[in-house]
Amino acid sequence: MDIQQILFIVLSAIAIGCALGVVFSRNPINSVLFLILTFFAISGHYILLNAQFLAVVNIIVYAGAIMVLFLFVIMLMNLNSDTEPQKNWLVQLAGAISGGILFLVLLSALVSATKTLPVMEQGSNDLGLIKNLGKTLFRDYVLPFEISSVLFLSAMIGAIVIGKKEDKFEDVH
Amino acid sequence: MKAIIAATILGVIMMFSSILMKDKKAIITIAALLLAVLLGVNIWDVMATKKGSNFTFLFNNMILISREGLWFNMLMTGCTFLYVLLSGKDIARVGTHTAEYFALIFFILTGVYLLSSYNNLLILFIGIEILSIPQYILAGSDKKNLKSSEAALKYFLMGAFTTGILMMGVTLLYGSTGTFELTRMDFIHQSSVNGMSLAGIIFLIIAFGFKVSAAPMHTWTPDVYDGAPTPFTAFMATIVKSAAFYAFIRLFQNTFGGISNHWTIVLSIITALTLFIGNLTAVFQQSVKRMLAYSSIAQAGFMLFAILSNNAVASQGIIIYAVAYSVATIGMFAVLMKLKDYTYDGFNGLAKKEPVLAFVTTIFLLSLAGIPLTGGFMAKYFVLQAAIMQGQLFWLVIFALLMAAISAYYYFRVIIAMYFKQGNPELHEPLSSGDKFMLALTCVLVVLIGIAPQLFLASI
Amino acid sequence: MNFLLLAAEQNTPFNYLPIALQLLIAVGFVGIMMGATHLLGPKRRTKDKLINFESGIPSVGNARQPMSVKYFLVAILFVLFDVEVIFFYPYAVNFRELGQEGFLAVLMFVGFFLCGFIYILKKGALKWED
Repeated sequence: MDIQQILFIVLSAIAIGCALGVVFSRNPINSVLFLILTFFAISGHYILLNAQFLAVVNIIVYAGAIMVLFLFVIMLMNLNSDTEPQKNWLVQLAGAISGGILFLVLLSALVSATKTLPVMEQGSNDLGLIKNLGKTLFRDYVLPFEISSVLFLSAMIGAIVIGKKEDKFEDVH
Repeated sequence: MKAIIAATILGVIMMFSSILMKDKKAIITIAALLLAVLLGVNIWDVMATKKGSNFTFLFNNMILISREGLWFNMLMTGCTFLYVLLSGKDIARVGTHTAEYFALIFFILTGVYLLSSYNNLLILFIGIEILSIPQYILAGSDKKNLKSSEAALKYFLMGAFTTGILMMGVTLLYGSTGTFELTRMDFIHQSSVNGMSLAGIIFLIIAFGFKVSAAPMHTWTPDVYDGAPTPFTAFMATIVKSAAFYAFIRLFQNTFGGISNHWTIVLSIITALTLFIGNLTAVFQQSVKRMLAYSSIAQAGFMLFAILSNNAVASQGIIIYAVAYSVATIGMFAVLMKLKDYTYDGFNGLAKKEPVLAFVTTIFLLSLAGIPLTGGFMAKYFVLQAAIMQGQLFWLVIFALLMAAISAYYYFRVIIAMYFKQGNPELHEPLSSGDKFMLALTCVLVVLIGIAPQLFLASI
Repeated sequence: MNFLLLAAEQNTPFNYLPIALQLLIAVGFVGIMMGATHLLGPKRRTKDKLINFESGIPSVGNARQPMSVKYFLVAILFVLFDVEVIFFYPYAVNFRELGQEGFLAVLMFVGFFLCGFIYILKKGALKWED
């Protein structure tokens, strides 16, 4: 086992353990903290894959900004009463079965892919570097990049429409 | 392509008009004017391409411009124009952010144009997101109404989950074919038809099934359509749904058409379920708005036939169906917005009080039920004909006809309430002559589609 | 230290070794300090000691009150502009190579964002007092 493999196993263990912590912890604040740890572990994975840009984005946007948003949402909620409704066991069973089926489908997809496919070109090792990613983003994928600004504009309007207090407006009749 | 840019810029203009103007009437007028401009740009787009000309690719093959897609864009913009003219005032009544609502409608139209011309799974993804995110906002725009907030939250959570499934499907397809580009994704070589790509296709069926509210992914539809402000329900149930269907058929007919034997069985089960659940549940509803939500699920079942049958008639059928269904539903919702009481009893005795309103409602309902001489009949005729031509779907066609007969029951219940029951339906305000003219025009359109459907396919 | 210098010349995951080491030391230092004080410090768990400390004044009310939605509005706008900034990293690295075309692409993107920003300001979303 070389060092990369050891790192991979350690990071995977952290990621899976923390992800389970997100689901199982009763306190939502703990869930968020576990989620941050999961993001850090995944960022470590990105670095192992030499996708440095993704690693940085993952930490800045996800572990930084979006988690702050999550904390705000939790503070908006009423956390006084510990009344997490007990789920019906039938619902739990249905969830477990459908989740298991999804897992099997994905597993079989991956198994068949490794058998029949020529290993997808791994690409040169520095595909995920900021420099190469920037070239692809601003040359080949410039249209999705521009169009995503429409998405941001709608999100801004949404923040105003839903989050802002209504001001006085005359009514139409 | 011009239309995509125009819709975005007009959306931004609309956004700023909320800062510059405080008068709601002026905002509605501006929105209608800008939509007319957008319609003009769309017509220009159609005119600029020759009939029967080949596709043009733009932006590294990200976008594929075809005359059929441009024609579809034009029809959908026309429907939106009709929608704003019919229910602009009702949109303004939802809340204080009138200009924003219109801006979001323009952004949704950007998404519609992307979905009619994508040639890359990434553009498909962005298009679906641009289509969905403004909808979540519109669903929750009536902040004082708890049901509206519930609708927005439900729709957002379910929609976000489906986006994940869509992304997963795209990823699996990329993994097995090595490209996002649809025209380069060939499934002729058996090597690329493996568990991975098939799982990807199934994931895409689930994601699209959610967006077009096909059973069993339909559970959000009644709550969201019922809870959202009625003007926006009208928009969601018509133009947005049609666009999602058009994207669905483009992907499954052109790209996955060659391996249809792998997914036809899944989709035909979904179609049968959608028809069954939509029609049967609609029968038991007490509110007309909720009935229309279930009826939109049932209509989605018919539109799924176009995707199943996978031939040239089907792609004409989906366009006719989209237009016929959109126009009739927009009209029906416009009528609903005039009334105070959304239950069946709220329609009692409408024929005596407002004979014009009752008459146009009857035409819209007849079209939705698929009675001859209305658009709905032609639409159903086209898609079922396509299904028969496909050859293996005869059992499903028989089943669909049976379900159409059931659907007549709940549509006719409204007609019976209007004409044969006593009551005093309350309207928000008396109908103006402008309202009457627009409703009559919509009515004429519905009949025109029924008599001369070729007019709406003329230019493809 | 030879291998560190070697690694710095090409872009490999091992470039991040110093960062990983620093992270490890930072987290380890905090963890050890907290654990050590917890273990070594004297403990007297009486009822008075375990009460929440509020500058000696008896605690009043509940700490868990729902906070204003205004924080949320600012936070969500922050996320949007944060994502915008992310797009600048790959552009900045390739600034020269992308030339005029890349510049125009970024200009258009920023232009849309500027429209959104002016809209937000004019709508008073960042105004704290109503």
